[in-house]
Amino acid sequence: MHQLFYNATQDNSAETHSAEGRALAKVGNLQSAEAELRKAVASAPGKAEFLRDLATVLAMEKKLDESTSYFQRGLKIDPRDFVARRYLAANLWQLHRYAEARQNLRMLLNANPGDPQALLLLGMVSENTKDYATAAKTLASVPTLVRAQPESIAALARSYYHIRETEKARAWLNKLQNHAAGVRAVFLGVQIADEMQDYKTAEKLLSSLAQHYSDQTDLRYRLALVKFHAQQFEESRQILQQLIDDGYKTSEVNRLLASCFRAQNRHEEAMHALQEAIQLDPANEASYLDLASILLAQKQISSAMELAQRMAKAFPDSSRVFASKGSIELGAGDFTDAVSSFTRAAQLEPASSDATIGLARAQANAGMPEQAKATLDSAIGRFHEKARFELELGQVLLKEAETGNKGAEVRAEQLLNSAVAHDSRLAEAHYELGDLALRRGQAARALIHLEKAAKLAPSSAKTHFALSRAYRQLGQKEEAAKQAALYDQLKEKETPRAPDPSSDTPPSN
Amino acid sequence: MRLTLRPTLRPATNNGSIFCRRRALGCLSLLTGLFSFISFDLLQHSQAQSSSPSKEIFTDITEKAGINWRHFSGESEDRFLIETMGGGVAFLDFDGDGLQDLLFVNGGETPHGKSPVPVRNALYHNLGNGKFEEVAAKAGVDRLPFYGMGVAAGDFDNDGFPDLYVTGFPSSALFHNNGDGTFTDITDRAGVKNAGRWAASAAWFDFDRDGYLDLVVTNYARFSFDDIKKCELNGLRTYCEQKAYSGMPLTLYHNNGDGTFTDVSEKSGFANLIGRALGVVPIDVNDDGWPDLFVARDASPNLLLLNNRNGTFEDSAVDADVAYDPRGLAKAGMGVDAADFNGDGKPDFVVTNFNDEYHSLFIGTSSLLYTDQTVTSRLAAYTKSYVGWGTHFIDYDNDGNLDLLIVNGHINQVVETTRVDVKYEEPPLLLRNDGKGVFRDMREQAGSVFQSGYRARGLAVGDFDNDGGVDAVFTRLDGKPVLLRNNVGQNHSWVGFELQGTKSNRDAVGAKITVRIGNRKLVRWITAGASYLSSHDKRVVVGMGDGPTSANVDVEIQWPNGRIQRLSRLKLKRYHKIVEPTANEPTGGKRK
Repeated sequence: MHQLFYNATQDNSAETHSAEGRALAKVGNLQSAEAELRKAVASAPGKAEFLRDLATVLAMEKKLDESTSYFQRGLKIDPRDFVARRYLAANLWQLHRYAEARQNLRMLLNANPGDPQALLLLGMVSENTKDYATAAKTLASVPTLVRAQPESIAALARSYYHIRETEKARAWLNKLQNHAAGVRAVFLGVQIADEMQDYKTAEKLLSSLAQHYSDQTDLRYRLALVKFHAQQFEESRQILQQLIDDGYKTSEVNRLLASCFRAQNRHEEAMHALQEAIQLDPANEASYLDLASILLAQKQISSAMELAQRMAKAFPDSSRVFASKGSIELGAGDFTDAVSSFTRAAQLEPASSDATIGLARAQANAGMPEQAKATLDSAIGRFHEKARFELELGQVLLKEAETGNKGAEVRAEQLLNSAVAHDSRLAEAHYELGDLALRRGQAARALIHLEKAAKLAPSSAKTHFALSRAYRQLGQKEEAAKQAALYDQLKEKETPRAPDPSSDTPPSN
Repeated sequence: MRLTLRPTLRPATNNGSIFCRRRALGCLSLLTGLFSFISFDLLQHSQAQSSSPSKEIFTDITEKAGINWRHFSGESEDRFLIETMGGGVAFLDFDGDGLQDLLFVNGGETPHGKSPVPVRNALYHNLGNGKFEEVAAKAGVDRLPFYGMGVAAGDFDNDGFPDLYVTGFPSSALFHNNGDGTFTDITDRAGVKNAGRWAASAAWFDFDRDGYLDLVVTNYARFSFDDIKKCELNGLRTYCEQKAYSGMPLTLYHNNGDGTFTDVSEKSGFANLIGRALGVVPIDVNDDGWPDLFVARDASPNLLLLNNRNGTFEDSAVDADVAYDPRGLAKAGMGVDAADFNGDGKPDFVVTNFNDEYHSLFIGTSSLLYTDQTVTSRLAAYTKSYVGWGTHFIDYDNDGNLDLLIVNGHINQVVETTRVDVKYEEPPLLLRNDGKGVFRDMREQAGSVFQSGYRARGLAVGDFDNDGGVDAVFTRLDGKPVLLRNNVGQNHSWVGFELQGTKSNRDAVGAKITVRIGNRKLVRWITAGASYLSSHDKRVVVGMGDGPTSANVDVEIQWPNGRIQRLSRLKLKRYHKIVEPTANEPTGGKRK
């Protein structure tokens, strides 16, 4: 009796907190609503409805992880709470936990095959997981819901592009021109068309704003960006130059202008534009990084080293800056300093695969192959991009094998085979396997890999050189000569002319 | 005026034989037997001090020999690349006394790298008792009107005395050996100034087989002391990489036979071969009896120039797979040598390169295609950390297998701050050929020099004590050279050859010597040039291990003009002076 009374009291109190919480949530006071709903859940932890309400408020507050766990607790108690499951699926989608999201959506659709919200979410999840055929089919089945959000229109259009239904993609993007979300929707359409290399549609969408978008300079900048992506470098450059002449001088405009100059091999002008960009916005590390990249490519090592020091001082907590500094030091042959820079870059951003690979390369060059192997071995376990690290470690081991370590050669071959199994588009891995076969005098086997490598990276001089060697070893002199000629042409393009006396050149190291 | 005989300087040897000076025919004994009419026996001279047993293979006897000359590079804050590249050394018997002397080429001053004393070359006269006497000034070869680099010794006028071509920047010089211990600079008269060019190695060879040595000169890069290139590392001025300097064409001089030369660079096609050339070795690659050339180039593809027998050459390096590394990159080729490393009778090549590139070993096959055996021979393993310069295939222990001697040294002091595995001063390498194409590093047994670091550059080999163990000398940038006495070669059987051409060039450069011992065939060539900036003793020592007796040693000589001569039952452990038979004399062989 006493127990029954106690529970009834608790229930009453929980109901009160729940009602209060809901009322607060309705008026947008989410923080207080959350507090009341927590009290309700604490008083009646077995009540699914309270758990769902608290989870919903937490989701509204973007506390997605906690929200998800409350939804899951509630659904254990009441698995047929379709609303809670739909919200859970939405949470999981936002948390990029696509497999779990899909599982919950399938459960909803099994129970109610026409559930439009579930179909919309399933379409979005499919698009995110690159299952574009399912995404297009599913999203197209709920056109009204798709039309309501520019993001879902974008997802459907992107899916159509991927399955090569370009006209349907364009038709959906065109709907963004008159969308209630306004300019934001159009810019999203421009972004999708640009990304999918449908530059005409991107320009068309931009031009739809010509009359009524207040910030015409922004519009011109965006047009220049699309034209740059469309490789219309001169047109892009002219638009940007005009912007600057009109007084619209920003760091972004100068950076894009520099990219145009660089694409046109006007490196001095590119560097000048980037120096302007740095002056205009000294806090924007991107301009420094672009300038460093050009200086390195142009082998202006002293200037690049100077810039690297400046960058490191200005952005002491930027992984990208330290990775760039490391690359410059690698280019300068300053390998031990490169190890330090890449170590710092990797510490600042442990998830950066570029920093990790840079570190391994610096270690290998600094005469620390054991450390390089350890770095890469550990990365293979940590990173999703297994193939890239397998290739890199394979290359370090091949180098080691050259000094007589047979075991290293065996493991290198295994890693390279694994790399091409994980990513068959890795031209470099095919090249290494071909080169290895050539070293072993297996010219026919080498040809198989080298031809794949050449198909994937047709402008790789060394691949054509290796092909010429393979054909020569097979006695196919004509084909060997053809490949050697290709090598000569490509090599010519790769080799910079001897610099004039005034420019700084890399040290001999 | 010729040198007078100085018999008192020739100590009696252990076996009681008396050393004979070249051209002192009275003390040369005629060989008896089938070929006695064409072959002179140069009696073996073994100096007492070289026969003492020693645990180490090579002993540094520089100081003991009285060699105290120092190289001067003119190193300065300007960091001119030329400061890192010299200098050469030659083994030559300049006075014809049967003893190998030494010439060292000095560098020079640079605009801000001045020497407190005049920069001089050194000519060390071998006194025959383990000591050398410096006579450069007396001989007239001590001063150069240019920055000195390398040397090629060769008897261009067939008068029996080796002449000197000294390379450098911005010109080079030809010193004619007067035969009396002095030289005369005849550069202008001879037309071999190579003006305006930075010349590195040079080699004498008779490309048209007219009996006179012609001259190939490797030119390195377009250079000027007015053109200061600035490179820094860690805030320190350092040398810019070689690619900052454009390459130059090779120079080929044809010997007119009258003391003058004609520049045939254009006609021969050499003028079109632009690149940073540093090392050169003439050798008959395709066994057609005509000398070809291998040219090692620095960050430019190597050249394999096949002699078209009409005064022109064709580069076949790409077809032969010796131009680039397997990735199609031109390595930093410095020194080069050619010899039959694997005992198949075909010339193979070694090329020294930069650290991480490995020095290259190219092995000849039945076709012109070479196989790169740098890795399988373990040369890669031993040379990964080294910047290599002079090199020579040398059978140091006379076991019949050609081993490899390489000298190394980095060019940038700052390298030690940029990586943990490369040093500025690097040890030379003595790599023993196991007879199956695999090297073994002999540093433990080779001697203390092989465990010490140097900035070594030129390397020449020669038997300065005539004991059959081939000795070596290398130069050091801004340091004293190192003379190494071979302590082990004389312990095995060997036979030495000093060839004298009559119709062929007198030095017999280009001659191919094939020695047969039972089933074993050992092939050697007389190659002027090779290594880096340096010139070797032109005599050939063929090691035979423990086995043979003179009864089963047969020799075939293919003279540079193609004539083939056969000899048999040669006495071991001595040098044989063999004069090319005249047209009417029987040779036992046919013409090639």
